[in-house]
Order: sequence, then C-alpha cells, then structure tokens
Amino acid sequence: MKQPDALILSMQKGDEASFSKLYDMYNKAVYGIIYSIVLDKAIAQEVLQDVFIKIWNNKNSYDVNKGRFFTWILNIARNTSIDKIRSKSFKNSKKNLSTSNFVDILKSSDSLNSRMDALGVKKFIDKLKPTCISIIDLLFFKGYTQADAATELEIPLGTLKTRNRNCLKELRTLVLD
Amino acid sequence: MEELITSGKLELYLTDSLPKNEKDEITAMINKHPEVQREVEKIERTLLALGSTVAPPISTQMWTNIIRAIDGVKYLPKKQETTNWTAITGWAAAIAFMLGLFWSINKKNNLQEDFNTINTQNVVLLEDNKAVQNSLTEASEVLAIVRDKKYKSISLPGNQAVAPEAYANVYFDDKTGVAYIDASGLPQAPEGKEYQVWSLKMDPLTPSSMGLINSGTAISDENRMYKFENLPETEAFGITLEPEGGSETPNLTQLYTLGTVSR
Repeated sequence: MKQPDALILSMQKGDEASFSKLYDMYNKAVYGIIYSIVLDKAIAQEVLQDVFIKIWNNKNSYDVNKGRFFTWILNIARNTSIDKIRSKSFKNSKKNLSTSNFVDILKSSDSLNSRMDALGVKKFIDKLKPTCISIIDLLFFKGYTQADAATELEIPLGTLKTRNRNCLKELRTLVLD
Repeated sequence: MEELITSGKLELYLTDSLPKNEKDEITAMINKHPEVQREVEKIERTLLALGSTVAPPISTQMWTNIIRAIDGVKYLPKKQETTNWTAITGWAAAIAFMLGLFWSINKKNNLQEDFNTINTQNVVLLEDNKAVQNSLTEASEVLAIVRDKKYKSISLPGNQAVAPEAYANVYFDDKTGVAYIDASGLPQAPEGKEYQVWSLKMDPLTPSSMGLINSGTAISDENRMYKFENLPETEAFGITLEPEGGSETPNLTQLYTLGTVSR
C-alpha cells in the first residue's frame, strides 16, 4: 500500500478531515493489534480510542522521510496496549490471562469480521505453518525485536529473518489476491 | 537491491524489529530506490490485512468519541478560557464604565444643583447684607440727628380728641431751618391718606405746609424719620391726616399731634 503522505502532512497541519481518512485506513489493523494483546473487546476499544488520540496529539513527531507511518502507529498501538495490560486496574480484572496468539483469536468465530469470512478462515489458518504463527505473533503482534524473538524461539537470527519473510510471502498470496 | 529485498530485513523493518542503525540504512534505501519502496508497500499491505482480520467489529461510536476527545483537548479548555475571560473582562469594563459615567453625571448634576443653590443663597445673603448695611447707615444717621445738640427736641403729644396714643418728635435747627420728624409714634396712615406736617405761627394762627410724610421726605423709612428744609419762623408743629397729595389748609378734625417750640 502506497503511504498517503498528502493526508499525513495535511493532518499534521491540523486537518481533521484528513485524520478521519487515515483513521478509516488504519483503524482495523490497529484494533487487531490491540485486541491480540489485551484480549478484551471493551478494553480494546478504550485502547483504540487512546491510540488515535495519541496519534493526533503526537502527529508532528512523525517524519514522513524517516520511516513508515504504518510502523509508527503500530508502535503506538503495541506500547499503549502493553501499558494497559501492565496497569493495576487491568491486572485486577484479568488475573488469569491465557496466553493467546492471533490464530487463537481467529479460531474463536465470534471475533471475526466479515472480511475474514470471505477470505476463508480455515484455508488461511491451515496454510500457515505453526512456526509462522509464532514468528509473526512475536514480531508483528507482540513487538519483539529480532534478537529477542530469535532467543525466544531458540533459532539463529538468520533463520528468523528467512522464515519471517517466507511466512509473510505465503500470507501475501492469500491476502492480496 | 534484490539482495536487500530477499534478506528479510524489510519485513523486520516494518514491524520495527531491527536495531537503530539497520533501520536508518533501510529508510535511506527506501527513499532512494522505488523498487525497495514498492516491496515495502506490499509487505505493509499484508500486515495491514492480517491485523484487520484479527479485529472484532468496531463500535460506530468510536470515531465520534475520538474526535470529541480531540476537540475537547484542542479547543475546549483554551477556547472557553480565552472567550470567557475576554467577554467577562469586556463586559466588566463596559459595566464599570457605564456605572462610572452615571455616577459622574449624577455627581455633576448634584454639584451643579448645589452650586446653583449656593449661588442663590449668596445673592440673598448679599441682598440681606446690603439691607443690613443700609439699615445700619440709616440708624446711625438717625442716631446722629437725635444726639446732635444743634437740634432742639420737641415732643408732639397726641391730640386727645383724635389720637390720644399718638405722638411725634421733632428735631429742629431754627438757625438753618431744618427739621427732622420722628413719626414712629403715629399709626400707619390708612389707604388714600397721608400725614401732612404744618409749621404754625400762633398770633395770628397761620399754618403753612412743610410737606408730606412719605418716601419723598424720608431719610429712613424703617425708622420713620423724615427731613424737612427751608422752614419759616416756627412756633409750633402740627401733623394732620390729609387726602393723598396733601391739602392747602390743615383739616383740624384730623389733627393727630401738636407741640410748641419752647423758647
């Protein structure tokens, strides 16, 4: 996806209409990231709201020439979600948080959106190798650094890079067709 | 280029899993090489789609909440504060100004009124003062005459038949023929009548008019002191009540007082 630099620049000048368009483009993916971390719809909606407010308030700290807007908001989403699950109020309400990855979420049918139904959930999940699931989960959804992920999965850094690329390539053919 | 694309670094770049120095290198390559950028865009689309598939439905209220929060943060506290303060200050100043203005006008009117009153009082006092001065001057004049030794003092007692209570005093200088009549013992002349003063020679009885007791002869109306001059040789003085303007001969039925000049 070509980055909408014009919209981003116009948002940075304070244009709410441009911000609204950017929200439409990114809100689902951001929400997916948040939900995969907090695993509670009500809390995830709270965090989603916070994330977009942060995006707006910090809009001028993003530089279109120094990285992808997608990566920038992905970081905000992951950090805000992690802050949330570390917060006292969250810990009190969710004592036994089961470890869960994006595939577990996909398997629980009630959380799926219509887009995913059309895509064919089963086909999608079946095609993804278990190694792919854990690599993508750590790097994309949980925000691990490459070094941390390699350590966690007990594989060399080079292997991690290659596997991650291949997994995403497979996914690309599924998603972008 | 191909090497970079297949290295797996671009995927890690997008998920922000690379160390800082490698990140910067790739940013530079993306900005420089369109084919690297295209590859990055494709990976980004994949990740966006993947993220979206995991997302449960989002409340339609969400955007409204966000924009409300943003507008609140952005405008409300500031706007409310500045608007309020400007308006309050403005209105307060206007009200203060109006009150001040009304107060000033009122004060000015009061002062003007006070000034007018005092001015009037001043005029009245000035008049009073003048009157007192005049009265004092007249009294002094009268007192001077009464005290002067050159004037003979002659009492004119009341005529028992006409006015027993009445009396008059004459202060007469026979050398200069000047007489002052003190008429304070005479009742006020009725409307249309005036007192006339006569100089009398006894043998034979010859009255000659000296003049009328009125403002024409008065030296002090207040003290009822009247001056007559160029008197003929006189043996007695008489005062009669006559029609206004006086008479040729005295009306003896209206003789109020009479007194002789002692020798």
